[in-house]
Amino acid sequence: MTPRDRSRHPPALTPGYFSSVHRAPREALVPLDPEEADLSGPVFGTADIGSLDHDLIRNAARPGEMAIGPRILVHGRVLDEAGRGVPGALLEIWQANAGGRYRHARDGYLAPLDPNFAGCGRVLTDGEGAYRFDTVMPGAYPFPNGPNAWRPAHVHFSVFGWAFPQRLVTQMYFEGDPMIRHCPIVATLPDAGAVEALTARYDPANDRPMDARAWRFDIVLRGRRATPVEP
Amino acid sequence: MSAPLRETPSQTAGPFLHIGMMPDGAAMRPLHRAAPADGVLLGGGLFDAEGAPVADALIEMMQEGGVWARCATDGAGAWSLRAARPGARPFVDLWIVARGINLGLHTRLYFPDADRSADNAMARIPVERRETLVASKGADGAYRLDIRLGGPHETVFFDA
Ligand SMILES: [Fe+2]
Repeated sequence: MTPRDRSRHPPALTPGYFSSVHRAPREALVPLDPEEADLSGPVFGTADIGSLDHDLIRNAARPGEMAIGPRILVHGRVLDEAGRGVPGALLEIWQANAGGRYRHARDGYLAPLDPNFAGCGRVLTDGEGAYRFDTVMPGAYPFPNGPNAWRPAHVHFSVFGWAFPQRLVTQMYFEGDPMIRHCPIVATLPDAGAVEALTARYDPANDRPMDARAWRFDIVLRGRRATPVEP
Repeated sequence: MSAPLRETPSQTAGPFLHIGMMPDGAAMRPLHRAAPADGVLLGGGLFDAEGAPVADALIEMMQEGGVWARCATDGAGAWSLRAARPGARPFVDLWIVARGINLGLHTRLYFPDADRSADNAMARIPVERRETLVASKGADGAYRLDIRLGGPHETVFFDA
């Protein structure tokens, strides 16, 4: 496994994001040799995926009904750092509904629940590392972090590659959203390039005409350490 | 040949991670792996730097032999997982995400009754911090380890 480039990620302690203050370890991390880190990971397959897991518009809807909100599809590829597709990667996603409300006991936001939307999904990448799911555009929502803080529209991702050290949790934002530059959680990212990497692009070439707009989001996982190539 | 890509940056899992990672089964069934038949119970508490329970975390365990499990912490910050009996390796790997954790934290639970003398990672940890990773074994055979994200007895976390 290639070493993790920690300058690509938010530091543990980011005081502008209040929740990190009491949850950030202060001691230095102890390095593990790649040789002694266990590279095995759980293996998931099609048996772990339900037939509607990729379709958040319908997977919690009553018969004949659908979730409310702008219809979108999110697609892309899971790649390793060498640009190779990662087949069989498992993606778990969760998001707020179109009004910015989560179906969760601890979310008390004013915006109403949608009886036809649960906000969870799961997909497996294909042989080329490609994935796709159907959903509605999530709404922005406020969160407790000072007098007035809002999250931009986003989708949460959890990714399993082929090795446990690749395990990644992140969030995907939407190109053009003015909320991105005001968000204290986005601001934990180290630089503009990192924000860019989490921003899905509108991808009209993959729209489903008269049905849904497409957003493209590629995910890069840590790769195998390159073996020196003889000239 | 294309330039190497950089890893996708991490963001916090937030307080509502259960929706996607511990679904209640109404819209999507939980991701599940059968626990080892002859397994052991691991558990403990997860606490922040002030000693307050972390009640909205997810902990995943990876053990040799492809044994994997996950759990959410409860209202008291308690976690509980089923592992296989210790084999060649004297530990299981643990990975923690939650609101306020910007990049998943990697730690280990070492079995107190397994031989750690040849363990390279343990050897690299200052002696006075090693105990933060060593579980205690209860009379019921369960292993218990409290994990502290900060404070005077901060748990050791790894860069794997
Ligand atoms: Fe969120």
